[in-house]
Amino acid sequence: MSGAPASPVRSCLAAAASLLVLAGLLLVPLIGASGNTIRLVLITLLWVATSLAWNLLGGVAGQVSFGFAVFYGLGAYAAAFAINGGINPYAAFAAGGLTAALASVLIGIPTFRLRGPYFAIATIGVNEAVRIVMSNLEITGGASGYRLLATGRFSQGEHYYTALGLAGLAFLISWFVMRSPFGLALRAIREDQDAAADLGVPPFRCKLAVHALAALLTGMAGGAFARYTAYIHPDGVFAFTTSISILLMPVIGGLGTLLGPVIGAVVYSVVQEEMVVNFPQFHLFLYGALLILIVLFEPGGLVGLGRRIARGLRGRLRGGPGDPVVAPAPLSRVGP
Amino acid sequence: MTTRMAHRLPPSVLRRLAALVVLASAMLGPGWAGRAAAQGAACPDAVRVGMVFPLTGREGRPGTYQVEGIRLAMEQINAKGGVNVKACGKRLPFKEIVYDDQSDQARSVQLVERTMSSDNVVAVLGGYSTVLGQAQSVVADRYRVPWITPGAAASTIFNQGRQWIFGTLTPVDLLGYTTMKFLGGLVDQGKLDKGLKIAIAVENTDHGKDYVEGVNRWIKEHPGYFSVVFNESFQLGGTDFSGILQRVKAANADIFLSDAHLQDYITMQRQYTQMGLYHRMVSYGARGPEEPARKALGAAADYIFAGTWWEKGLPYKQVEAFVKAYKAKFGHDPDNFYPATAYDGARILAAAIEAAGSLDRTAIRDGLRKARLTDSLLPGQVLEFQKNGQAAEPFVIVQNKPGNRVDFVYPEDTKTGEVVTKIPR
Amino acid sequence: MPLYGENRLGLADLLNLLVSAILLAGIYTTMSMGMTVIYGVMKMVNLAHAGFMMLGAYFAFELSQRTALDPLLAAVLAAPLFFLLGIGTYRSMVRFLPVADEPTLPSLLLLFGLWLVLQNIGYMIWGADDRSILTPLTMATFRFGGIILPVIRLIVFGIALLSLVALHVFLNRTWFGRSVRALTQNREAGQLVGIDAGRTAMLTFGVGIAFTGLAGALLATLYSFTPDFGGSFMLRSFVIIVLGGLESFSGVAMGATIVALIETFSILAVPANYQLAISFILLVVALLVLPGGIEGLLQRRRLLR
Repeated sequence: MSGAPASPVRSCLAAAASLLVLAGLLLVPLIGASGNTIRLVLITLLWVATSLAWNLLGGVAGQVSFGFAVFYGLGAYAAAFAINGGINPYAAFAAGGLTAALASVLIGIPTFRLRGPYFAIATIGVNEAVRIVMSNLEITGGASGYRLLATGRFSQGEHYYTALGLAGLAFLISWFVMRSPFGLALRAIREDQDAAADLGVPPFRCKLAVHALAALLTGMAGGAFARYTAYIHPDGVFAFTTSISILLMPVIGGLGTLLGPVIGAVVYSVVQEEMVVNFPQFHLFLYGALLILIVLFEPGGLVGLGRRIARGLRGRLRGGPGDPVVAPAPLSRVGP
Repeated sequence: MTTRMAHRLPPSVLRRLAALVVLASAMLGPGWAGRAAAQGAACPDAVRVGMVFPLTGREGRPGTYQVEGIRLAMEQINAKGGVNVKACGKRLPFKEIVYDDQSDQARSVQLVERTMSSDNVVAVLGGYSTVLGQAQSVVADRYRVPWITPGAAASTIFNQGRQWIFGTLTPVDLLGYTTMKFLGGLVDQGKLDKGLKIAIAVENTDHGKDYVEGVNRWIKEHPGYFSVVFNESFQLGGTDFSGILQRVKAANADIFLSDAHLQDYITMQRQYTQMGLYHRMVSYGARGPEEPARKALGAAADYIFAGTWWEKGLPYKQVEAFVKAYKAKFGHDPDNFYPATAYDGARILAAAIEAAGSLDRTAIRDGLRKARLTDSLLPGQVLEFQKNGQAAEPFVIVQNKPGNRVDFVYPEDTKTGEVVTKIPR
Repeated sequence: MPLYGENRLGLADLLNLLVSAILLAGIYTTMSMGMTVIYGVMKMVNLAHAGFMMLGAYFAFELSQRTALDPLLAAVLAAPLFFLLGIGTYRSMVRFLPVADEPTLPSLLLLFGLWLVLQNIGYMIWGADDRSILTPLTMATFRFGGIILPVIRLIVFGIALLSLVALHVFLNRTWFGRSVRALTQNREAGQLVGIDAGRTAMLTFGVGIAFTGLAGALLATLYSFTPDFGGSFMLRSFVIIVLGGLESFSGVAMGATIVALIETFSILAVPANYQLAISFILLVVALLVLPGGIEGLLQRRRLLR
């Protein structure tokens, strides 16, 4: 985790716990969960992947993007194209991810010349421009949307394990990145880009690389989503609200941490499902209020809140200050 | 947990992961048990029907009208004791399970999947507007639940070979075709000259494309009647149409045909008037007589003609009864076709269940294929589905007249007023 | 394409477009001024801009419906009310944000969250119905030679101009206006000479929101609106203030004119269905090519000479 030296015991325990969660998730379709529950977990897993991906760029490297729907959507369309062209679905997901990664480089080369907030605003423009262009391109069906041809019988289980694999992949990649020198370089850029550059970290190239990595994962998630719903539309996958959802999850959970984005995605999905079913009129309100509260009161997100509570409890038990914990990236430091 | 343990296990990944699992299972747990238990029981005490419509968002208003139409039908059927299910040996009332998809495509799919897989419904009514209908139609075949849309008519939904989908709206290309047939008839009657120029500006969706296809098909079949001098599409949901209107103006056509959603129709016609455009006849496809449009546009909505699936003035006695009951229940008149196709969608479902004699989904699907509603509200008074699941009723053409009047002008047997072929300046 | 063939636009049409573009530039300037003032003093990009514009639109709608007041007059009344609303927003939320020389992520997220909340409040009160304001002048046209103009646009243009004149006087003749300009140019120096930065920021936020509300109310007399209203106008405001150099008040008028001209004349070259994408592409291009805005570009050229 965030730079804290990992003892062998802890690593073992972490691995054991991860396996436990994985085993639990592997079992979901086998223990008679309803189609609806499987769908909910499946969609949550896809969100886990995008949330972790966004966190690499936004949380670890501090480059906030309001435009991840571009990658989600391009991944979805590219994979859908490939699948309709008769390519193996898993190769198609890879194609979707690569398309998104390629797009991220094309977008990144000009926009990363801008610093933090200007980059963020530019991504809003890119997102909307891409959505409108996609709404009018003849080959993608434009605003009519794009249908995937049905191949064989629909197996929800297969889609589920795809999503699980993807979420696992995103988790592993995040884990490796955060422990690697690359992750350190990204954190240095987040804290102070100029100082990082002075120390020999190439900010532009690092940002481009992490952007591509995040886009790759997001694009693959988009591809898996497209195959599952079998019909995609520019106003769905390229919607500004999709970008917002992808950004909200890691912010809710805790930016720059490994578990924060996962928790954020789980909380977001479950809350979203219940809100949509029971209080459809209030979901914007909830997200908005959450953002305001997090910014004003708990910039570390749920992980930060959990740590604060844990520290308080431990402090009371021991009568002393709690463990020195590496805090999640405080929001105010994200940015240039 | 003891203090010693806490020492040995600093904020470990383990505990956080464990907390995550607990959190997740706490949230999913109840759903698990509850939803699995809902299945079974061949004869429940009600016929459960899922409904997924936009009640908020940009399609909120038409979606609400459709839900109202279904609710009226169900209430009337329930008042008579419900649907006769032979296998249960009794009449069962309808029970609705309603979801609001907020006009959002992803949410629409999410909710249809939810209702088909966990609410134990025998059928689902849903999908107002083409895009949401497209998205929902995929799910029906997957879960093998009959799905009826009273609000999506694009041909691409119904030509995918799906087995579980039905629609009470006649295809949109027929709307374009009927519009031209109507105009062609006016030429034959000498009310319009031959060789008039037409400008077309439609939304960039399947709806718009199908409409243009219908228009072009008629024109091709009848050379010499009209010529199309302008044909472009615009982005759905725009705030400013002055660009495309400027070019429509430059095209100098005699007749202006558009195909747009309600919101775009209002915005566009307002700018049309502000920019001083004039054509002797103007149509916005299926839009025209809607209450919000006439309120927002005032006199600028007069003389617009529309091809429509239904309109409240249709001279059938069942329509009269429907309009009366609808107004009594909801306090307002049915607006455009929205509640009527939904009302008939619910009624034909009831007929199919009675024909099936059970609540088996496959039997109901087969029942829908054979069902024939002979007191339909829709033009022609008979509702049945074609092989692809879509209805094929004739369209009627209406024209707005000053003083909030709407006249039926085509076909002859529904006529309530004379068509105005040259809008007074 | 339209430039060729029988649908070619004539000279009168082109003149018509030019005049429309200028009228559009007026309201665009007012709309973006709210964003620039806030950026200048507080270095925040107001992502809640769209939400306040939407509230302004509904304010004009409700007031004119309930009191039979002319909607244009109602629009003007939005300004003082939204000034107070801005101050309330500042005191309850914005003042807790960290002060910085550049927009920070917390400010973006907070104001964005506020936008979502405002939008939701709009849906709760007014639903998703498309509303529009019909005035006796809405459908009236003004003809001059071959030029046809909607009368209402002329009036909106007039009100927008008046609001800008008022702002100009305010900034140049009052103590508060001088503090605003001082802080915009150099925050620390301003504070050194005794300007109360917190108070100035509060008043500035109020003025910014007042302009935003006014612009929303004026635009409501031209376009139909739902609680979604404002998003595309907010993005246009970004483009305009970036083109104008972010904190230059005269730059805003220039940026607005450029955006209005490009949007209006793009119909000659770009198909109608791609029109909406133009301002967004322009935004990205503006951010990349003109980080200092038009004025920055002009200055650089002057230096080179």
